[in-house]
Amino acid sequence: MSERGEVNLAGAKQSKGVWLVKVPKYLAQQWDKATEKGEVGKISIGTKQGKSQVCFSLNEELTALGAVGEKDGPLQVPRDHPFTMNSVGGQTLAVFSLGVRDEISLEGMVVHKAECRPVVTDNYMKLKKVQMKESLKPQRLSQQLERAITTAFKPVANHNFNVEYEKKKKSEGKMVRAERQVVLDMLFAAFEKHQYYNIKDLVDITKQPVTYLKEIMRDIGTYNSKGAHKSTWELKPEYRHYQSADEGEDMQTA
Amino acid sequence: MASLGSSSSSSTEYTVRVPKNTSKKYNIMAFNAGDKVNCSTWTHARMERDMSARKIYGEEETPEGAAGSEFGKKQREEARRKKYGIVTREFKLEDQPWILKVNGKAGKRFKGLKKGGVTENASYYIFTQCPDGAFEAFPVHGWYNFTPQAKHRTLTAEEAEEEWGRRNKVVNHFSIMLQRRLREQERGDEDEEESEKAGKKKKKSGGRGGDLRIHDLEDDLDMSSDDSDNSMGDDGESKAKKSDVGKGKAKKKRKGSDKEALEDSDDGDYEGLEVDYMSDESSSEEEPENPKGKPNKEEDLPKGIDEASESEEESEEEKQNEDEVKEEEEEEEGKKTPAQMEKKKKKDSSGESDSSDDSDIEGDTASALFMKKRTPPKRAGGRGSAGSSRTGSRPGTPSIDTAATSNTLRAAANKLELGKRQTQGPGTDSPAAKRLKMEPSSQSPAPSGKSTPQPPSGKSTPSSSDVQLTEEAVRRYLIRKPMTTKDLLKKFQTKRTGLSSEKTVNVLAQILKRLNPERKNVNDKMHFYLTE
Repeated sequence: MSERGEVNLAGAKQSKGVWLVKVPKYLAQQWDKATEKGEVGKISIGTKQGKSQVCFSLNEELTALGAVGEKDGPLQVPRDHPFTMNSVGGQTLAVFSLGVRDEISLEGMVVHKAECRPVVTDNYMKLKKVQMKESLKPQRLSQQLERAITTAFKPVANHNFNVEYEKKKKSEGKMVRAERQVVLDMLFAAFEKHQYYNIKDLVDITKQPVTYLKEIMRDIGTYNSKGAHKSTWELKPEYRHYQSADEGEDMQTA
Repeated sequence: MASLGSSSSSSTEYTVRVPKNTSKKYNIMAFNAGDKVNCSTWTHARMERDMSARKIYGEEETPEGAAGSEFGKKQREEARRKKYGIVTREFKLEDQPWILKVNGKAGKRFKGLKKGGVTENASYYIFTQCPDGAFEAFPVHGWYNFTPQAKHRTLTAEEAEEEWGRRNKVVNHFSIMLQRRLREQERGDEDEEESEKAGKKKKKSGGRGGDLRIHDLEDDLDMSSDDSDNSMGDDGESKAKKSDVGKGKAKKKRKGSDKEALEDSDDGDYEGLEVDYMSDESSSEEEPENPKGKPNKEEDLPKGIDEASESEEESEEEKQNEDEVKEEEEEEEGKKTPAQMEKKKKKDSSGESDSSDDSDIEGDTASALFMKKRTPPKRAGGRGSAGSSRTGSRPGTPSIDTAATSNTLRAAANKLELGKRQTQGPGTDSPAAKRLKMEPSSQSPAPSGKSTPQPPSGKSTPSSSDVQLTEEAVRRYLIRKPMTTKDLLKKFQTKRTGLSSEKTVNVLAQILKRLNPERKNVNDKMHFYLTE
């Protein structure tokens, strides 16, 4: 997903000034509960003694902490939040947005930084108390059990897994040596797919006893004891040509 | 939403909306105020993610299928990772830095690193005012700090360290980057030699720092003076000077390195060293050092042999304490050598006298020779150094008091001689039965009947003795082959017998008196022997 984007500088050109407002978490959560229209509250900007004062007041329906619409919940989020305005001093802040198809556009420059603070009331204090208690709870809890667990880890004469394994072994029986040519065919087919094989994997594929298989492999292949593909078997160079792997291989009859 | 009516304090109200359709994700692009970034001046810009971290996180590409691949490799790798609990952090595209290019190739470049923890405790919202007067609030998803990227060349860490070392000497700092650039150019076209002399010189003097060099030969001292560019000349001179110093030092160092491995010179070594400009002078400085070096070397050789011989002897006999006596024996040898005869072939005598330890013989030879060589020029010094050389291999050995012991030994030797001439004591027939060395006091002294004060001490059982200074033992030795007193003394080392050297000498003297062995002169040395 490459996000090589020409940045859309429309916002910058227009020099749209925006505000960057730091909003408390609980308030943000309440805003998430807003309706489709998205109205969450009102902001009032006034000038008092020369300084501009901004205050945000939350909509009534969003004050309840519980589900939307419930108003008689135990706690209520405070409604009035004055903004503290700061200047964008040491940084030049710009806003850019990432679109769905990775379109980048510059939305504007930040002209004011603000912090949304609640008015401290008893209600707010209670709210904070609850929040703190929530956060103090450890994520993991050790719990003592009254009764021992009897469903797992019973002592067993022979584990299910083992029993199945033995049954499988018995049913399959010992591996029988097939014709050498047949085995060679199987091996070459396997080596077409991959270059390096572990002896165990070869045994799995060919279902031949290990000694027999090793004998054959010693004929047609080499063993890598060191290097990147350690303890693997590969075909001898004269037997392989991986460039055109689909054509028939050279096969020297043993 | 139109602005509502204001309250008494002349404020205007606006509605705040938080749009629900979050197709766009808003992020903050933060620039440092000092960079003076003005977004409105940008004509065009490109921004993309910096993918350089992908190589780190990406797995090694092993060929899938056919050549080079291994059956079940992936599963095995995964199992291995799980076993060792290796957790690899995924490559998250979201967290990768941005590369912002403004105004095309010639414009600025910025790198934007994501600032963590922005959305954890508080949410940031962007309030924009809509045309209808209401505010719209958009949540901020990420914060990226953008820093301008340097387009000019910078020094790598190694180069920076080098230049730091040269900071006091290099006057012209502009040349640093120039040389570096030229060096790169040189590497770029490897085969082409730069035709300009100036260029060559710059290359060489610049290349000094870059490449690993064993010696700092500056052939282009002349060239640097030719250069019309003064600053370059200054720089070249300062470098040449330093290189001369370095060359002188290097030469000395190379000599030293023959002997031992010396550490590489740090930059600070050259400071304060005053060497003249011309290379000839530096060699003259080396000469005073050489004579000093030579005697040391000479000392080394004999020391070396002596040490080798010493170590051989020691290793055979596993001696650790009582090195005094050992040294005294050596001293005694040394003393007897000049005392008895001048050109004495110790080798032969020892060869005859002592068949048991071959290395002993060689040791004796070498040490005797060494003694002989050394004692004329510097007696005490030689002894002292010999002692010290030996003590070097054996820690904690006290130094010898040469004079005192030599007197004692000489006296002992004379006494022995006298004793031989005067007394013809009865040859004692030690009981043939007990011939074992290890047997303590139940040995010959009893039948000998000549109870002398010393023998009891001589017969006292030392803690780990193989050899007892008994008449029996001496008899055995003398029967086997003729030995000198020295050899006999060597046989009864004080560590083994537990006696002091003086006592050993006395006891031995008495035993010899009793035994009264026959003498013969072999190679001008008095050998005793018995025939039974």
